[in-house]
Amino acid sequence: MNHRASRAVLMAAAVLVLALLGAQAADPVLYTAENTSTAAHTDPATVQKRSPGDANALVPLMDELLGQTGTLTLTIKLKDYESAERDLARYSELSRQFDRLVVTLDVSGTDIGEFQQNNRQNQESLAALLNDTRRFEDLQRLEIEVRGNDEQHMAVVYEGEALRQKMREGFSAYAKREAAATRIAEHYDLNATPYRESVDHFAEITDAADDWWKETGGRSAPKSPLRIAVTPDEGRYGDTLLIAGTHDGGRPGDPVEIYIDSRLTATVALDDGGSYRYPYRIGRVPAGSHIVYATAGAVYSSVVTFEILSGNTSTTLALAEVNETTVACTGNLTTDDGRPVTLAPVHLRIDDDTLTTAETDKNGTYRKEIALPAGEHTLQAEFHGAGYPLNASESPVGTIIVRGEGLSPLPFAVALAALFGTGWYLRRRQYRREESLVVERPEEEVEVAEETAEQAPQVSIVGLPPREAATVLFCTLRARLGIPETKTPRDCARIAPDHAGFFGRYELIRYAGETPSEEELRAMEEEVLGGDKNAA
Amino acid sequence: MQREAWTVLLILLLAGGAVFAHVTTTTEEYSRYNTGWNGTSGFAGKEVRDLGDLDPGAPLLILAPDRPFTLDEVGYLRAFLDDGGRVIIADEEGAANDLLADLGSTMRVRPGNLASLDRDHADPGLFVARVVGNDTLFAGVGTIRVNRPAAVEGGVPLLETSILTWDDADGDGRITGSETFEAAVVCAREGNLTVLGDPSLFINAMLTENPQFIQNTWPVRIDGIHSRTGTANQIINTRLWIQETPLAVAALAALAVLPVAYRFGRKENE
Repeated sequence: MNHRASRAVLMAAAVLVLALLGAQAADPVLYTAENTSTAAHTDPATVQKRSPGDANALVPLMDELLGQTGTLTLTIKLKDYESAERDLARYSELSRQFDRLVVTLDVSGTDIGEFQQNNRQNQESLAALLNDTRRFEDLQRLEIEVRGNDEQHMAVVYEGEALRQKMREGFSAYAKREAAATRIAEHYDLNATPYRESVDHFAEITDAADDWWKETGGRSAPKSPLRIAVTPDEGRYGDTLLIAGTHDGGRPGDPVEIYIDSRLTATVALDDGGSYRYPYRIGRVPAGSHIVYATAGAVYSSVVTFEILSGNTSTTLALAEVNETTVACTGNLTTDDGRPVTLAPVHLRIDDDTLTTAETDKNGTYRKEIALPAGEHTLQAEFHGAGYPLNASESPVGTIIVRGEGLSPLPFAVALAALFGTGWYLRRRQYRREESLVVERPEEEVEVAEETAEQAPQVSIVGLPPREAATVLFCTLRARLGIPETKTPRDCARIAPDHAGFFGRYELIRYAGETPSEEELRAMEEEVLGGDKNAA
Repeated sequence: MQREAWTVLLILLLAGGAVFAHVTTTTEEYSRYNTGWNGTSGFAGKEVRDLGDLDPGAPLLILAPDRPFTLDEVGYLRAFLDDGGRVIIADEEGAANDLLADLGSTMRVRPGNLASLDRDHADPGLFVARVVGNDTLFAGVGTIRVNRPAAVEGGVPLLETSILTWDDADGDGRITGSETFEAAVVCAREGNLTVLGDPSLFINAMLTENPQFIQNTWPVRIDGIHSRTGTANQIINTRLWIQETPLAVAALAALAVLPVAYRFGRKENE
């Protein structure tokens, strides 16, 4: 096979390999990890190992929450308030754990979410029951103490009546949730008995309040000179209810205290006509029945109720890049009728996992800047509705690509400087060494070296094939003339024209495949050894 | 010149190796000739191609069936079961339901997209199911990591998901809309007949996830006629034909030897 043919084969082989690789490039299954998920399965090695949360704890926690209701109501019924406080604290802690888990596992849209909502309301009901029962006991004691003092007695009876009504309302709402609790408990194989027992305990406590009310007269409070009304008697988040009335014996400017759910909510003054009014805006308050009454000094109004209805919400989310690493999340939280939900917590879920919280302002707008690692991220805003007469909502999922911080030029600059520095140092070191060699080398040695360089080179071509012998001679002559090894015969001829004949002949031997005769070799050897320059 | 010849030879060998590796493998799901993550090349089990000649001592695995069974084949399977042989049908698309009915079983595969919160991977379809009841198939195994399984109805449950499982009908990976949490059975048995709603347990990528379970299946035989494990391509089929035909093997050997002999003959003449 001659030179050209071998090159052609090599080229053909290279083209073949490239063609084969090119054909397989579109089907990279053997050397890449692409296509790692199909409808039937996914490659676990390529799926991020990340648990959605402690799912195993969820159902036992639900069981424990149901169990806590029974324990708590029993201790309230037994008036063991110290234990009840402890039980309530434990119940609250478990509820917090459960709430966190529901959010982490993203199951608020399921019946577990319904359980969570009911549990929140149960927690509020039982906390109120504990407070009301304690206050009721105080009132029972006071009622005995102030018998004979009509004015004080009347005040105690009024407050007792308000409390009784409130407890009755609370029980009604609590008992209503029993069906849902039982249904969910059955689905998750939970023990609903403690919850059923808690309803019974709750009923007994409110029955006890009814009994006391009957014992203290068993009648509605006599018509009070301080009248009260709520208009309208129901509303939704953002609505304003007017709590107003008159005080027959009151003087203009006299203060009137308004209590909602037994908590002092506002103090207003009587106007010239003996009337008072208080616009109550429905904000962060649970949905359901609420009671209201007013006092003017020792005079109590009757107790009236109003209803807060729950409503739907919508949450929006817009993502914008602040810089290479930070994303601004903004959006609005509004009710179905477009009212802004103010000062409410909005949770931002990052990559279906991490949660961070923002708060809406008075316009229902929230904004949060979040630092994220480089890459694509998904974000979603969620409103959970806890404590509001509003249902939960979530925004559509938004996606953003974070570029991440660019590479700092400092390491490159340092590396470059180090490179230049090293080069400069080595160059300087070499220069100094050469200088010192020149200075230190004895003159004799220099002379000997020069002589050696001028001496004829030793070469032997005995026994070598003719073409190889020619190559040996060429290399020897090239070395003798101090021509670099990288130079071709033609270059050598140009550099040393005195030996152009030698190099021209060698070029033909090497590249044209000619074989030198013995005579030619001898002539070439003589020239190499310093003989007749033109012999070759 | 010699150096160039060696280079050419090396390139040709490399190219030949690459070609061989590519043409003798496939990317088909569950294929025994798929060495990728979704193949079953790594699952140790001998293929059987004649259901009339089954050994009752070795369980028969019908893996992701996609071809119908003839009446004769159903009869062979029935006889095999009656003789004490064990049949494991791994299917998640419901293709085995006709066979189950023909075998008189009440078990059925209910195709779906089960997802669960009981998992330690980001993919909701890659989760853990618990072993319930006693069965040699799951001896020494507490949990099995399943990979997008289907539910199995009827029979005695052997493998059950947690209550925090749902059929992710919309495929969004979240429990939304009308989707509800419900425990599901992914493996059940009736006598010697076992139905597993997750054939993915036998793919290469899953073998290391449930090693004890895989070991318990031994010495399994795989139905190479109806299972998708038999999926090949023309080149693989040709290779198999050559392997199974002595004359073809001899012809190929001769083809390989001839150039060498020719070369040596030329050398001697020179």
